[in-house]
Amino acid sequence: MDITTFLASLESSGIATGIRNSLYIFPLIESTHVFGLAMVFGTIAIIDFRLLGVASTRRSFRRMASDILKWTWAAFAVTAATGALMFITNAGVYYHNFFFRTKMVMLVLAGINMLVFELTAGRSIDRWDKEPLSPLIGRATAVLSLAIWISIIFLGRWIGFTTTRATPAPPPEINFDNIFPGTPDGTVPTAPPNTR
Amino acid sequence: MTRFAEWLSQTYLSIVIQNHNSWVIPTIQSIHIVAIGVVVGSVFMVDLRIMGWAGMDQTLRQTTNRFGPWLTGGLYVLLATGGLMVIGEPVRELVTVSFWIKMFLVAVGTLVATVFQISLRKYDQDWEERVCSRASTKWLAILTFLIWVAIIILGRLIAYDHVWGSWSPAQKA
Repeated sequence: MDITTFLASLESSGIATGIRNSLYIFPLIESTHVFGLAMVFGTIAIIDFRLLGVASTRRSFRRMASDILKWTWAAFAVTAATGALMFITNAGVYYHNFFFRTKMVMLVLAGINMLVFELTAGRSIDRWDKEPLSPLIGRATAVLSLAIWISIIFLGRWIGFTTTRATPAPPPEINFDNIFPGTPDGTVPTAPPNTR
Repeated sequence: MTRFAEWLSQTYLSIVIQNHNSWVIPTIQSIHIVAIGVVVGSVFMVDLRIMGWAGMDQTLRQTTNRFGPWLTGGLYVLLATGGLMVIGEPVRELVTVSFWIKMFLVAVGTLVATVFQISLRKYDQDWEERVCSRASTKWLAILTFLIWVAIIILGRLIAYDHVWGSWSPAQKA
């Protein structure tokens, strides 16, 4: 199966269709995505500033990492899941979007950067655990981590501004009384004309 | 409010932002999200400490000394970038129900954070020895965190105010 067929099959899947057909689900998924990424960035930044000797300098790095990183991973799971759900609603468009592609590259770089840390400064934590500053390589990965995650936030916002939404804007006559639209034959009932 | 928004959209600064909106608006929004990360991360760490789930090698006072200034700094950045967004796109922001619920919750969240920090400074010992371990304090910590979660979600929903149906003033325009 080539990529175009694959993307089209994602778009026509039941979940993607269900999200597109709802006026409410996509906005809620996107909001949850923003919450998740704020948590990912907020918690990672705390670790990075510790490595840089900017904040929390008197605390054991190991202790902080075990306190915080599990929450980072949980938030990352939420963000990745909601991101994937947004992707399948309009896969063909996102796949070809420059900012989406760059963002995916940045996510890979964030992973590589994390591995570099684990394989270098991460192996000698015993030596600097309570020191205000981590080794040079630790500080370098911390600066890179902050730069990469901030760029991911910018790129994500740019995707929103450079792609057309799969869900069209709702018709102006949409009404709160129609919060459960849809009839057995799949058509959306027309709201009564707005009297205001 | 619609009239005020329309007046604001004719002001000099608003027109400057509108004329460069292809990159100014996304840039401001991105900075806004970065600052949200700092703020929600800080609130989260203090709340985790109150819950007893993180930072137990630190006193509550040490924890708020570490994260309080970042919370305050982040809020100033949010205020500045948020203000620019309102000036740049007044109708999009002000004529929505999401924006106003969000502003109400921001006021509540900021008030709670301020009162908490003042109280902690004054009744330091009390907080460490008694208040922090009370169940009601822990519930309040969860509630505070949920307020910030709601603020983030409502912030994104400003772009989708139709989810409020006829409650949204944008639908009546």
